[in-house]
Amino acid sequence: MTSDESTELNPRERAEFEALPRERMPGRLLEERTVRSLRARGLLKRHSWTGVRVPWLAAGLAASLALFASGVAVGQWLGSSTVANSLATAQQETAMQAAAAVQRAGSAYVTALMAFAAISDSTGDGAYMQGREAALNALYAAAYEMVQIDPTDPVAVTIREGLEQARLRWRQPSDTAIQRVVWF
Amino acid sequence: MLDGDEKAFRTLYRRHTPRLYQFTLRILAGREHDAEDVVQETWIRATEKLDRFRWESGLGTWLAGIALNLCRALFRRQDEKWLELREDLTVPVNGAEGLQRIDLESALSRLPPGYRTVLVLHDVEGFTHEEIGRRLEVSANTSKSQLFHARRALRKLLTPSGHRGART
Repeated sequence: MTSDESTELNPRERAEFEALPRERMPGRLLEERTVRSLRARGLLKRHSWTGVRVPWLAAGLAASLALFASGVAVGQWLGSSTVANSLATAQQETAMQAAAAVQRAGSAYVTALMAFAAISDSTGDGAYMQGREAALNALYAAAYEMVQIDPTDPVAVTIREGLEQARLRWRQPSDTAIQRVVWF
Repeated sequence: MLDGDEKAFRTLYRRHTPRLYQFTLRILAGREHDAEDVVQETWIRATEKLDRFRWESGLGTWLAGIALNLCRALFRRQDEKWLELREDLTVPVNGAEGLQRIDLESALSRLPPGYRTVLVLHDVEGFTHEEIGRRLEVSANTSKSQLFHARRALRKLLTPSGHRGART
């Protein structure tokens, strides 16, 4: 760009303009953000689930919730900070890393629940109650987050409401020791 | 066309967004956050009005038109007279950077919005002055004047000796 007085671009200037990039990818979360906005306005429908029965869908979602919640609860209950640290880190990283952290946490929870189920018969009643409430609270916290992700999802809302009722039934006035356990 | 089909939307989004985003980002002088907001709002408005879209013009061109209107609204909020010609306008150049040559993209981002918009539309995107006039709701002559001043300001920015500020 040197021809100061000319109003027209010289060949070099034209070449510089032509060399400018014409495409650039925005942050990859923008697509999801846009899709969510369009869904919220009723302009987009969700992916078609034709052929997938609602009970299977609910079961799948429940399993996903359990996977997520398990990791959180067991991490807290066993006094290990590994899972919580992973989740905290995930919040600052990419969606893919966060999803991987959810998967790890879920696997850890399910594994721990299996171990808990196996040994719960031989432990005292207080420990059993404590473990069960921890698991239930984690499940509820996960359901709550799933509803935050998509408040219009009827399956997530139903699960959360069911867990709310279950927690109310589970918590009794005499269970003060239990209520000190895990809250999110 | 979309009929609320998310998969179809994502296909369109992935095909057209890179160009739309680059265009918007350039008009908004590299402000990524604003550019992403504009791109998102562009897709929302386009989806709302898709049944009114006449397919004789390209979808990309139509999207760019919507994005440009959103950018204009953004400029207007900052300065009602953003597109007026200002003969005494000084283009700011940082002292240290003024001593060395800056690249074309940086120089474009330092132009006032009115100059930058016309320059991008004409010299980068290839619109005619009549088309620019229609899009910006000004006359073709105003577009020509803006382009003249914009090119002059740009040349001063791209010349190392122009570090005291490009006066147009």
